[in-house]
Amino acid sequence: MQSSELVGRDLGAVSFPVDRSKVAELARAFGDEDPAWFDTEAAAAAGFDGEPTQPTITVLGDHWREGGALAHAEALQLDLARLLHGEASWEYLLPVRVGDRLTARSEVTGTSTREGKRGGKMTFFTIETTYENQRGELAVRRKDTLIERGESA
Amino acid sequence: MSDVSTSTLPVAPIALAVGDEMPAFEFGPLTRTDFVRYAGAGGDFNAIHHDEPYAQGAGLPSVFGMGMLPAGILGSRVAAWVGPDNLRAFAVRFSGQVWPGDRLTFSGRVTALGREGEPRAELELVVETTKGEPVMQATAEAAIAASD
Repeated sequence: MQSSELVGRDLGAVSFPVDRSKVAELARAFGDEDPAWFDTEAAAAAGFDGEPTQPTITVLGDHWREGGALAHAEALQLDLARLLHGEASWEYLLPVRVGDRLTARSEVTGTSTREGKRGGKMTFFTIETTYENQRGELAVRRKDTLIERGESA
Repeated sequence: MSDVSTSTLPVAPIALAVGDEMPAFEFGPLTRTDFVRYAGAGGDFNAIHHDEPYAQGAGLPSVFGMGMLPAGILGSRVAAWVGPDNLRAFAVRFSGQVWPGDRLTFSGRVTALGREGEPRAELELVVETTKGEPVMQATAEAAIAASD
């Protein structure tokens, strides 16, 4: 199949909770000891109206997708051994709080090909995901570029 | 830190000027445990990041870190600098893989000020290894305090 035929492909939706434990686990993984990531009272004492979350909190959806972080690559039938994550970007419209429930909806919005430096065709896939909270408000938009490297010559 | 129970995350937008720098941060040397801890937290169980025989079977010297680990660390450093609620946009471009033993440095600075319904600062951010190998280039946009 031509990669351009994938533009507009619906990659499905997943709904997931933003848990205190996962925010704390991410903070530990990031070497970030600020107590606001770990403790409700520390967040309140700092002046937050609720408990804040990290800029990459949207990764939590991967725990709830069949196929996890590779779900989109698998849906596009990419060769995982040749897969690269090229870019990721987020636009924040509303704060995401511990206790929120987010619904992520993903779609392929673009594809392109380019000759790789070491030969072989590289294929680029742009995937856009919206995250709506439990009140139906759009909280975050995310865009990812996945790259499938060419077969090595 | 005098009181370990006190958060230092900014809540309200902070004042920033062109040239202001993000507090420097270093992470590492990276271990396989760091990759596994992030896999559990973030949900990326691609075997190439934790299964040594699988990674070597794919022709790699060892497992390597998921790009979202340094991206996440960078995000948390930016949040600690400008305040998590004040971040309006964050974009990362992965330029190199991270390997066990790498030490990563995180830096950033204000490159421009503007206004989009509120005062904003544009930030340029860089992650590299202590050997100077590029890992990630990123940009961010933050709401900032109005200047007098």
